[in-house]
Parts: sequence; structure tokens; C-alpha cells
Amino acid sequence: MLASILASGLAMGAVYALIGITYNTMFSASRVVSFTAGQLGMLGGVFGSLFVLRLGMPMIIGLLFTFACCAIIGVITEFVAVRPVLKSLDQHLYVLSTLALALMIQQVTAIEWSTEPQPFPRIFGIGSGGITDERFWLPIVACAATIIGLELLYRRTLIGHAFLAIAEDNFAARALGLPERNLRIASYALAGMIGALAGFSGGALLLAFVANGFLLNFYGFIPVALGGLGNNRGAIVGGFALGIFQQTANFLVGGIFSSVVVFVIFIILLLAAPQGLFGASATRRV
Amino acid sequence: MHISAAELLLDVKGLNAGYGKIVVLHGVDMVVRSGEVVALLGPNGAGKTTLLRAVSGLLPWNTGSVHFGGRSLQGAGPRETARMGLVHVVEGHRVFTQQSVTDNLLLAAYDLQRGERTARIEEALSYFPEIAAKRRDPGSALSGGQQQMLAVAQGLVRRPRLLMLDEPSAGLSPVLVDRVLTVVAKLRESGTAVLLVEQLIEKALAVADRVYALAQGHVVLNAITSETDLPRRLEQAYFGSHNAATAHG
Amino acid sequence: MQGVAMAGTTAKGTNYASVAWSQFVPLVVVFVLAIVVPFVSNDYWVLIATRAAVYWVLVSGLNLMIGFAGQLAIGYVALLTLGAYTTSVLAAGNVMPPVNPFIALGIAGLGGSVFGVIVGLPALRLRTFYFAISTLGFATIVTQIALAWQSVTGGGIGLPGPEFPAPLNTHWGFYYFCLAIAAFCTWMTYNVSQSRFGRALIAVRDADVAAEATGISKPRLLIVVFLFCGAVAAVAGGLFASLQTYITPEAFTFDLSVLFFIAVLIGGRGSILGPLLGTVILTLLPEFAAPLAAWSTFLYAVLLLVIVLAAPGGIAALLDFKSRNPLQSNRAIVPRPALLDDVLDARTSGGTIALLNVMLSFGGVRAVDGVDLNIRPGEIHGLIGPNGSGKTTILNVISGFYRPEAGQVTFGGVPLDLGKPETRAARGIARTFQTPRIIGEASVLQNVMIGGTIRGRATFAETLLLLPRHRRDEAMLRKVALQALGSVGLESLADVRADRLQHSELRFIEIARALMSQPAFLLLDEPAAGLAADEILRLGQFIQEIVRRGVGVMLVEHHADLIFDICHHVTVLNLGRVLASGTPAEIRVHKEVVSAYLGG
Repeated sequence: MLASILASGLAMGAVYALIGITYNTMFSASRVVSFTAGQLGMLGGVFGSLFVLRLGMPMIIGLLFTFACCAIIGVITEFVAVRPVLKSLDQHLYVLSTLALALMIQQVTAIEWSTEPQPFPRIFGIGSGGITDERFWLPIVACAATIIGLELLYRRTLIGHAFLAIAEDNFAARALGLPERNLRIASYALAGMIGALAGFSGGALLLAFVANGFLLNFYGFIPVALGGLGNNRGAIVGGFALGIFQQTANFLVGGIFSSVVVFVIFIILLLAAPQGLFGASATRRV
Repeated sequence: MHISAAELLLDVKGLNAGYGKIVVLHGVDMVVRSGEVVALLGPNGAGKTTLLRAVSGLLPWNTGSVHFGGRSLQGAGPRETARMGLVHVVEGHRVFTQQSVTDNLLLAAYDLQRGERTARIEEALSYFPEIAAKRRDPGSALSGGQQQMLAVAQGLVRRPRLLMLDEPSAGLSPVLVDRVLTVVAKLRESGTAVLLVEQLIEKALAVADRVYALAQGHVVLNAITSETDLPRRLEQAYFGSHNAATAHG
Repeated sequence: MQGVAMAGTTAKGTNYASVAWSQFVPLVVVFVLAIVVPFVSNDYWVLIATRAAVYWVLVSGLNLMIGFAGQLAIGYVALLTLGAYTTSVLAAGNVMPPVNPFIALGIAGLGGSVFGVIVGLPALRLRTFYFAISTLGFATIVTQIALAWQSVTGGGIGLPGPEFPAPLNTHWGFYYFCLAIAAFCTWMTYNVSQSRFGRALIAVRDADVAAEATGISKPRLLIVVFLFCGAVAAVAGGLFASLQTYITPEAFTFDLSVLFFIAVLIGGRGSILGPLLGTVILTLLPEFAAPLAAWSTFLYAVLLLVIVLAAPGGIAALLDFKSRNPLQSNRAIVPRPALLDDVLDARTSGGTIALLNVMLSFGGVRAVDGVDLNIRPGEIHGLIGPNGSGKTTILNVISGFYRPEAGQVTFGGVPLDLGKPETRAARGIARTFQTPRIIGEASVLQNVMIGGTIRGRATFAETLLLLPRHRRDEAMLRKVALQALGSVGLESLADVRADRLQHSELRFIEIARALMSQPAFLLLDEPAAGLAADEILRLGQFIQEIVRRGVGVMLVEHHADLIFDICHHVTVLNLGRVLASGTPAEIRVHKEVVSAYLGG
């Protein structure tokens, strides 16, 4: 039992952590928290199922197409919902524009794809349903690969350095002559791919289900809220903690009440530390 | 007083700029010639930083004209102006503290050809041996003065024709201020023009060829640094022509 | 800047009656049309109209929360669910003997109040996106509970909605019942929109720092709004249950939350008519676009995106023809200080504001390093110094936005509450800001009236019901605000949207707003920045007139001319310490001051 909770908890936690990283990547580039993060996760599963199961593509090709489509959606987010509102002093506009876009994505998927959960292909065919089944370790591997990949990107490549620069001090980066707009677009494309990976690797657990969109928006945001916006390490710790906590609660009090428990704990933690447990303190208002 | 007919590098005419509804600069005229050091002085809120930001493209401006090397800078952003040879080192020694000195300089070299980057970085570091020694350290490990030197080095990576420095002395000890201003003098010798915004008037005048003073968004003084009545004129520019003896009703 | 001085002319449209009518009449028209609906259509449309009325009952309250207070509650269907189930369970008699449906509705309203506060409370601590997500969580939870608590709610099977006695159990009867409740809610929220509560909400939304400085307490204000919103939303839930005749958890979808939320936003913030039209449009949309019914939520989202990007003011802004009238150019600001006698009429006087050894650091930097300062009534005290000297920090400490680490700040010998800016207005200290903090979407007059919020006496309930004390408040605030505007010479612009004004006019409006609370002390933060030379002269004269009536002024400034012209006393700060203190004449020739400015 414990092993099962651990396996499913870590697996779901990895998915949540990846969505958290999606949020963070978009935030670091633009200071915008975008509702499309959860939708990208959902699309990772939907596109995976569409390309591989329905259209019969080989797994790798399906994955690449999924990355491409979600990267495009990430870029669309930047063009349509982020860039136009960045200039406005109105804080809440980006919440509305990204929410509108997320709703549009969800509705199109619900109508064109399906409102019911659809099956997701088995990728390697390893494991036979026990705790070593691929649906448990795939998300974890994907999460680890993402972390390593991002580390390499940020530490070893110039464009990665540029991403960090934009995140740390947008104004200084602009003054230095860095191509701020292009870097932001690239960040959103990257975020799209990370979201896609979350949905694709978690496809066996979550299935290709349109309702995953707002589910992931919520559960994927908790690691960010706890770890602090822009803090990927916090998101990973928060994601795994949430995953295990949720599965434990599932086991102890059953599915429906576990979401109540998770939510109540979340609200309490957030009210106690609005900037996150590891987050930076708020900027001065006056 | 004969002014040399060196090429007009920066030509600002009738510039109006501001933030939102607040107009800060009112019809500013200014020129910088190749190879000269121009000091820009003035009390707080006068618009010195605003002027630099408008010229380098960080701040959109409304009316007037700005030409660099004969080309109009209308609509150009900091990336374009830097490519043309106009480099702006902003106030507050804002370097990227999470990254190493070398990475900071690499970022400054972002737009250069890959092969050239290393050479330019070494070139920039040669002006500041203190930070060359710390090239692997993160920006956060540098003192304020060293961060300022790094910021100037970032500007030098682009081999600018005109380098604009916004209050490089702010928060620095006198020794470090002198270090930075020595570099300004060296740049002048190598033919780089410098536009220097400064609070420390005496030090700025010591290194500059000409001086402008800005007050409330207007140019109130335009002189050569060798003029003798400069201190009095500066005090007037800062404190207005208010007569000290006026009684208060 | 020469121009036509507007001194002496009365403004067009400051006639109270005409402004109020232009906003109220369209609402009346909508309801008159609604009354006619059953006579010109069939039962089907009556049902649709009933649905729109029920939705509007909820949205009218949600409008105050989202449109006025700016709190993005996107999961408000939770309240609808709660109200629906409470009413149905009580009326059906699942847990206790059946309750009269009207009483059940009332109890649901009470429960909704409480739950509305619970759902809204996080807004006081969380940033916009976080709060929005938390309301999503509430919506999910309520639905989950409805699903799980089978013994009471019938779980997935659901239960019948409440049935009202004749004649309300017919389509027409029930329609008019819902319409009456909707009309009542419209009237109540309209009253709020024309009150100091409505203005305070908008201030909290758009200029929260200025709101605090005028004494508005955000928590108290929001809690009262949450109580109201929750109550009407729950009542709407009860009506909804009756309309549906049978409810299951599936009836309360996220799509409904989206509809409510978007109705407010496409209607336009700060308006009653806009969201009302928005609700009607969104309810009717699926009916007219029948083949596209499945796409209705998609269309709502597209509408939202279009509004956000192209017309952030929504329907209300599109209908606002008045604000398209061109303003006169070359306007001059000509203050009429004589009006100050009326404005500053019953002012509290107090003693001196005294700072003793105040210290404050930011990060590792000592911004204020042991400052002593005394600001006396009837005096203009200038505070100057180079950048980073701490002058604005001092002003922020006095006005309560920063809490010093050490030292005392007293007013008339009594310590001021440190770090609590909302207490200053009541103590008689008002301020302006370096960049004017004005509500662009509100009129100039409304902006100024906000300054007098704490002078109102009526409670929220009295405001909802338009009781006499509220009407007296409004009349008083309006009168004083017009006088304050007149004193700065801007009364001709009273009904103009504030974001159409020039920067210099906004500065004077901030001063008029500050005068509304009849302060004993006025703290001015670089008021001359961005003003033309003649405007600075008039500003100086105006400040002198204010001080002549016994008010004390602290003037933080860069403009040396202004300081030396009008100040009685000048304190010079440098690097967080007092460098010199004395009369302007003494300061002007003080060697250290000159060299501090000129460096070296």
C-alpha cells in the first residue's frame, strides 16, 4: 500500500511539478501568471492521443508534433494574451486575457476532441500495472530530464543566460541590448513544450481528458504558490509534496474529500505565507 | 573660443520626452562630438536620466529629433542604438547578480559574432584588472564599486563610439570613483566619446571637455569646462536665481 | 500658458439631478421592457427571461465584487450551488420538517452571507491571480460536497427544487417574483454605486495607496461587500433551484461561473447598467445562436478577450457618450482660495507633528538615520535634499506607509499608529503623492469626494436602502467636494473622466481631495513636478492660502525656487540625516548645503 501511494504520489507530483515549471517559465519571461499553463498540460495528453492513437504516428513523431503544437500555443499566448496587456498599468488584465484564452482552448478541445476521457497510448510497454509500471516512472523521468535540461540550458548556453537575465532584471537586460521580445517569445515556446511533456508523460495517469485543463491549472499552481513564483526548485519540492499528500489523503478519506482536504490545507498555507514558503517578499507599494 | 570642427556624433534637437502624461524634457538641444567627454549636470528631477533613456531608446519620446552619426534614432530601441555604436550604461550598477562576471560580459556580447566575443571581453576586462581577477565569481560577490566597473565593462564590450554613463559614482567610495573616471579619460584618449551624467561636479569637470546643465527639463548651461566663472553659473543653475536675501512674508 | 480662465462659471452637468437621472433612467427602461415581455411572447421566452433575472440577481452582487472592488472571483458558482441546495433541502424537508420556501430562501441568504465572507476573505491577503484560483477551488469543493453528502443532497441523483405557493408557481407568477427581486437588487446596488462605499470600492481597486491615505479600511469595506454578494448569490441559487424544478450537482458547471464573471466584465467595471445588459446578452446568446449553442462558452471567452484587448471599459464605456465630448484646450488652472473657508470649515486643530530620532533601513541601507523634525501648524515646512537623502521616506513614515525601526512620531503629543496609513485621515493628516494617484475611470468630482469618505456617517445597510442619513451624507460630500474643486479652480471639469485631464490638473485635484478630510496637516510630495512655471507660482500662492487658515504643510520638493519662496522653515536632509535646519535665507547660504548638492 505504502509503495503504491509513493509511486502514484511521486508520479502525479512530477506532473504537477512540471506544470509548476511551465507557470514559472512564463512568469520569468514576462511577470505574467498565465492560465494557459494547465491547458498546455491537458493538450500534451490530447495531442499525444490524437497523433499516436488516432492518426497512428510512431511514438517519437507523435511526441515531436505534440511539442511543436504546444510550443505554437505558447507563442500564441504571448502574442494574444500577454504582449498587448504588458504595457497596461492594470494588474488584473493579464489574468483576464489568459483566462479567456484558456477557456477558448478548453472549449475548442471539448467540442472538437471529446468531453470524455480518451485513452492514451502505452509508450514503452514496460511494466504490467504494478508499481513499476511505466505510467508511474515516466512522469518522474520526464521531470528529471526537464530539470537537467533546464540546468544545461541556463548554465551552458548564451540564450539560457539571456533568459536568466530577463528574469532577474528585465530593464537592465533591455538596456544592455538583449532582444527582450524575442527571448520572451522563445520562453513561451519553451513553456509550451514543458507543459506538453507534463501531459504526455502523465498521459497514462490522467488520460486525454479535456477537464484536465483546469484541474492542472489548480493543482499545478499549488507548487508555484508554495515555492514562490519563478522558483523552479520550490515548484519541484512543492509538486512532489502535493502529489504524495494527495494520494495519502485519497487513501485515508477517499477521492472526494481528499480534494477538500488538499484545498483547505492549501488556503491555510497560502494565507500564512502569501508569497510562498520560499518566495521573495512583496515589492514596496509607495 | 574656437570649437574644433570634429564630427557631430550625437545631435539632439528640440527633444520633448516624459513618462505618460508627465513631460520631463522640454525642447532639449545637445550635441556630442567624436572623441570628446561631455558632462551633464543638474539637480535631481532635472531630467538627466530621462534624457539618456530617450536617446538610447529605452524611453519613447514625443517630439524633436535625435541623430547619431547622421542617422535618425526615431523609433530605435536600445538594441539598435547599441549596434550603431551608442551604448548606455544605466544608473545603479545593475549587473546580473546571479551570473558570473564572464557571463555578464558574454551577455553584453550577445549581438556579436561568436568568434569575436572572447576577444572583446578580454578587451573590456583590460580596463578593469580588479574584476578580471574575479571573472568566475557571481555578480553578487562583487562590491558595489566592482559592480559599477563591471557595468562599464559591459558597455565597453561593444566598442562604442559614444558611451553614456549615468551617475557611475553613485554609492561609490572616492577611490573607486577615481578609478572609473580614469577609465573615462583613457577612453577619451582612444577616441571614444563619453556623455557623463554626474553628481560629483568637481570630478566631472576635471575629466570633461564641455558641460551642460539641465534644470526642470531645460538646458540652462552650455559651456566649455575651462571657463572661469563656471562654479557661480552652476550654483545659479541648481538653486535658481533666487536671491538669498529675500525675506519671507 | 494663457487660456480662458474658468473662474466664476458653473460647470455643465453638475446638476445632481441630471447626472443621477442619466444613469438611472436606462435601468428603469430595461425593467419596464422586462415587464412587457410575457405579453408579447410565449412561455418559453418567459422562462428565458426568468433565467436572465435570476442570473442578474447573482451578478448584481458579483458586480460589486468584481466590477467595483476588483476582486476576480471566478468561481462564484459556489455560492449559487450553496443557495440552491440550502433552499431545496430546507423546503424538501430532508433533515428537518419542511420549511416555508420563502423562509428557506431567507435562510439561504444568511448562509450565503457567511460563506460569501469565507470565499472572499483570501482576497485580503492574496494577489489577484492567487485569489482567482482560490475561488476556483471553492467552486470545486462545493460541488464535491454536494456530490458526496448523499443523505442530505441526494448525491448524484439530486433533489427537487423548492416550490413556491400560488400564484408564484406559474411561469408568469414566478417570472414577476424574480423580476421584482432583480429590480430590488438593481436598486440597492445602484444606491451603493452612488455612495461613498461605491467610490471607496473603486478607490481600493484602482488607487489602493491613495485609498488608505484617505482613511478607507480595505478589510472592513470588503467584508461588508462579501456579506452582501454572498447573500444575493445564495438567494439567486434558491430561485435557480425553483426555476430548474430539479437540481443535481451537474447543473452547477464551471461554465456558469464563466458566464457570471464575463457578464460583469463585458458590461464594464464601475457600472450597473453595463453588467445588467451583459447578463441579458449572455443569457440570450445561446438562444439566438441556436446552432452554435455548444459554442456559447467559447463565444463568451472570445468576447472577454476582445473586451480586454480592445474595449477594456466594456459596454458601459461604449455607451458613455458624454466622455466623447471634446474638452476645451488651453485650460488654465486658476485657484479661488476664498472657497477654502467653506472647505476647511470645522477643522480639527492639533499640535505639532514631532519626529524624534527616527531610524529606518531598507535592505542594509540606512535610509533615515536618526532624524528629528517638527512641523508646526500654520507653517510651511520645506524638506529638501539630494536623491537618496530620505525625504520621501520621512513623508511615508509620517503618513504611516513605512514603519520606523526606532524613534517616535507624535502628533500633538500623542503617538501616531506606526505602519497604519488608514488611521491618518481621522487624525487630521492628509497627503498627496509623487505621481498623482487618481482613479482614471471615475469623474473628477468622484475622485475628490473620495477624500471625504471618513466624514460619512451612514452604514452600508442605510446606503443599500437609500435611507435619509445616506442621502444627507451624499449631499454634504457633494457640496464640499464642489467647493474644494472650486478652490483649486477646476469645478468646470467636475463631471469629466479623470484620465482625460492633464498632469498638472491631476496634481491640483489630489490637493482638493486631500482637503476634503479637513486636515490639520497637509503633506505634499513633490507637488511641483511636471508643472509649468506659472502653475508653480499659483501652487505656491495656494499653499500659502491654505496655511493662512491654520493648516500646517510639509513640502517635500526639488524645486528650489518654490521652497525658498514660500517656506517658513526648511530642513535639509543628506544621506538620511539632518544636515541643516532653519529659515530659507539661512539655508540658502549654508555652505554645507550648497556643497551637498553640488557634490564633492
